[in-house]
Amino acid sequence: MILIKCPYCGERDQSEFSNGGEAHVIRPKNPESLSDKDWGEYVFYRNNPKGIFYERWVHSHGCKKWFNAVRNTSTDQILKVYKVNEKRPDLSDFENTLKSPSGEPLVGSGNFAVKK
Amino acid sequence: MSAINNNCEYISKKQIKIIFDGKTYQAYEGDTIASALLRNNIRLVGRSFKYHRPRGVYTCGIEEPNALVQILSEHNEPNTRATIKRVYDGMEIKSQNRWPSLKYDFGAVNNILSPIFSAGFYYKTFMGPKGFWKNLYEPLIRRSAGLGKPPKNFRSKSTHQYHNTDIVIIGAGLSGLAAAKKFINTKYKVLLIEQDSYLGGILKNSNKVKTINGLTPLEWINETEELILNSNNITILKNTLVTTYNFTNHLIALEDKFAGKKIDLNKSELTLHKIRTSNTIITNGHIERFISFRNNDLPGVMLASSFEKYIHRYGVVPETEPVIFTNNSSTLSLLKTLISLGCKPKAYVDSRKKDNIETEIKKFLKDKDISFFSDAEIEGCDGNKKVETITIRQGKSFTKLKSSMLCVSGGYNPDIHLFTQSKGLVKWDKNILSFKPDTPFQKTITLGSTSGNYNFKKICDEINEKISIFKTKKISLDINLNVPNKFSIKELWETKKKSNSNWSKSFIDLHNDVTTKDLKQAITEGFDRIEHLKRYTTNSMGTDQGKISSINSLAIVSKMLKKEISEVGTTTYRPPYAPLSFAAIAGRSTYEFYDPERKTSIHSWHLKNNAVFEDVGQWKRPWYFKASENETMHQAVQRESKMLRENAGILDGSTLGKIEIKGRDALEFMNLMYTNAFSKMKPMTSRYAMMLGEDGMIKDDGIICKINDQHFIATTTSSGAPKVLADMEEYLQTEWPHLQVYLNSITEQFSTFNISGPKTREIMMKVFPDIDFSNDAFPFMTFKNFDYKETKIRIMRASFTGELGYEIYIPPKFGLKLWEEIFSYGKEYNLIPYGTETMHLLRAEKGYIVIGQETDGTVTPIDLNYNWMIGKNKKDFIGKRSLSRPDTSREDRKQLVGLSPINKKDIIEEGQHIVELNELPKKITNPIKYLGHVSSGYHSPNLNHSIGLAMIRGGKNLLGQKFFVTATGKTKNIPVEIVNPVFIDPENKRLTS
Ligand SMILES: [Zn+2]
Repeated sequence: MILIKCPYCGERDQSEFSNGGEAHVIRPKNPESLSDKDWGEYVFYRNNPKGIFYERWVHSHGCKKWFNAVRNTSTDQILKVYKVNEKRPDLSDFENTLKSPSGEPLVGSGNFAVKK
Repeated sequence: MSAINNNCEYISKKQIKIIFDGKTYQAYEGDTIASALLRNNIRLVGRSFKYHRPRGVYTCGIEEPNALVQILSEHNEPNTRATIKRVYDGMEIKSQNRWPSLKYDFGAVNNILSPIFSAGFYYKTFMGPKGFWKNLYEPLIRRSAGLGKPPKNFRSKSTHQYHNTDIVIIGAGLSGLAAAKKFINTKYKVLLIEQDSYLGGILKNSNKVKTINGLTPLEWINETEELILNSNNITILKNTLVTTYNFTNHLIALEDKFAGKKIDLNKSELTLHKIRTSNTIITNGHIERFISFRNNDLPGVMLASSFEKYIHRYGVVPETEPVIFTNNSSTLSLLKTLISLGCKPKAYVDSRKKDNIETEIKKFLKDKDISFFSDAEIEGCDGNKKVETITIRQGKSFTKLKSSMLCVSGGYNPDIHLFTQSKGLVKWDKNILSFKPDTPFQKTITLGSTSGNYNFKKICDEINEKISIFKTKKISLDINLNVPNKFSIKELWETKKKSNSNWSKSFIDLHNDVTTKDLKQAITEGFDRIEHLKRYTTNSMGTDQGKISSINSLAIVSKMLKKEISEVGTTTYRPPYAPLSFAAIAGRSTYEFYDPERKTSIHSWHLKNNAVFEDVGQWKRPWYFKASENETMHQAVQRESKMLRENAGILDGSTLGKIEIKGRDALEFMNLMYTNAFSKMKPMTSRYAMMLGEDGMIKDDGIICKINDQHFIATTTSSGAPKVLADMEEYLQTEWPHLQVYLNSITEQFSTFNISGPKTREIMMKVFPDIDFSNDAFPFMTFKNFDYKETKIRIMRASFTGELGYEIYIPPKFGLKLWEEIFSYGKEYNLIPYGTETMHLLRAEKGYIVIGQETDGTVTPIDLNYNWMIGKNKKDFIGKRSLSRPDTSREDRKQLVGLSPINKKDIIEEGQHIVELNELPKKITNPIKYLGHVSSGYHSPNLNHSIGLAMIRGGKNLLGQKFFVTATGKTKNIPVEIVNPVFIDPENKRLTS
């Protein structure tokens, strides 16, 4: 149960929010001009990285506002929250943040408890 | 024999009675079940999980692997730790996992069959033959391997409580109390949590500490508690166990409100505390571990510090002449305790070399003339359902002693459970031979033995240093000890056994009956990764999570693999720290409080008129109305359906979702959200519309009323309303923020009645004499607003039954009155109320679909032949592009058709398959070609035969063809004809009459 900072309301419990998947996937302006492949990728394909992830959240049991967040999926730390009309923060802004709880490999589960 | 320690301050002198397995025993108020049983010299308290071996009390706390009991006087509460649960007068307790009785347990035959229960037995033994699992193995395992039985007829009143705080201190032992003392009257809001009903931890559980700052431990505890209670910033929670340490310093703790008291059914017996804190200080100490030796599970074997705790905390000496077996320096305090009470241990066995044993210990043993074995170990013990003889190995010689108890200390593990739950990293410490906290992941501090600091004299410095990040005062602790200040230990995990027999076993996990032999076997079979090995052997997978043994198993495994322990690693510690009751997790969200019930303004009328209700989302909707006591659902639905098509019927449609869409760009928004084109639609008209997902699949449907280009009202399905509103909001906020549109849920603002049937117009004219209901003045799919009495109403001409129909919208306050008025006029026209089941039947006769019945998230409007609803000239709407994807435009997609039985007596059942075979083979060897499924099936009282709607592959081109529908419990299939799904009035004459 993590703590999420709604840009409109402040810090609230995770149970007040719903996750909306990857952020910055913009709906194409002219869907008809897209090839089947390109349209299919817009509808069905999403990234699922271990590490830094730009994602959408909605304060569904609060102000009902959508916003974006940068979360490290490995540590579950939310590194930044920003409004939908705000600029996407650069990946390099998060270079010096903790990569994983125990320095485990970049792929696979992170169930390591012993310091190497 | 047991004895009493009269100096114990924590037990009242009040005698009470408890009942264990039907027999009454004397106990003291303040006893746990375990201390009461030990007081009465009861050694055998349960049978083990797999082999049904006799087991006794092994520890004196949360780590107990053996003594799990069922509390009959508390709704049969199972798997209660006898070492934790406090007794009260009249408490009734039953031992678990035995049949027919504890002494003569039938399952003990498993012990003789033990070769088949070895490592991986769940995976090996219960393979094939086919059917054996379901009919034989599973029931057998469930009966014999289960622990307690679940409680019955118990309605918990557990509550949840929330905290926001600066600092949580977990555990009020020496370090916890000292740390709390530093925070007294500071600006920090502090929560001090202790699992026992007394503060003090090791200070009250042992006599390891002689004095603190010149006070006895008890005086120091009382003084400190007094200071904390008088402070303005620290709250103490007793009888509270922290079970969970989540991300962002979120803790969950369980408080037992009735520790040592009979539960009052009118009060909450458990409180689940949900705590959000800025910093956490873990001072929950350490847990002693055991040593594996032959029959180390016999009742009478007990951890040394637990034995000591029974004396100091509960005032009971479980045995006056035990044997003590240790590999470290901590057991001196137990020796001293026993001697001070006039008891004399039979022997003191230390695995360390004589030179490495502290002079302090050697001198005490010599002074008190205690039989002393150094560089020695326990080979094993023997006895009938309890320890009777103990064999000591010293070099090549063996000594057999008679004693009924054996106290074992294999060293101490810092209790790192919560620390690793918090994702902190641990490191192996060679001095204490255990893992200790290293790098915290959150704002977590560990102090005292939790941090691996076993040096009492250094605790004060550690606290002052680690808490210096906060603005607090320095404290000083002057500690005098009864044990050597420097902890010393020799590595010893398992002793060598002399004799080998089937019955003799050396256990590594008492709770799950895992032996050291199982570990070896698992490794031989290739399970050399610790997470695999754990699951294959079930080692440390019991409800105690191997608290006294998991490090031992890591050590044994690392030796076999010739690796360092830190290389082998630990398995993952997962919450909860100890089992917590489902009642506590559920809290008040049970029974009628589990989910709100929503009722319409007509609900009381429905009740009076014998409605049977159906749950639709949170709504209670009339399913059908019983005309008489004996009328079945089928009879009621047939009657309602026939009466409506002959006369008229009325449905309470208030639950339908209603969303108001307003704003400059409302028209553009609606054109994007729905498949239909709204631009050319005239004001004050309505249209059946569909909403798709971006994948082109139908999400919801409803009627859209256009008041003007800036104002629409959309209805949704009863259960889909919140999702439709949320989806609309999402698109407005994220994709089209430039659109000026405002959304409002108005579901509860109107009572809605759907009245339909050939006599409807006459009834409406009686109820609303001023309104012109003629076809010209009020055509199909139009709506109007009217003043009605002291309120306003909206009437729309629409129908879901296929008959002439109207929908009336009125504020709920006036709903019931209007409903009753309609009935007072409707009586002469035989107006009937009808429920959702009749609604479904009538719409199926008309070939109308229901979201979630004909559709399942894989159906497009084209699959339903609803091409007319698609605004093809619109540039864009949600899902439009997907309708021309190769997969969605396939010819052989499942498409909507009607089914009519060839033999009119046959019944078409919902959910059945449509196949080409008239009969299924007796034995199915090859997959049978499947064409589709029946999505709706009803007996039509108006056609007088069964009808079906079905989704069939390429159905549009199969009209007139003959197929078969499977039937429940039969191999003979029903012949059907594929027909147009509209069974009644395909020309819409009734609808527009
Ligand atoms: Zn908010």
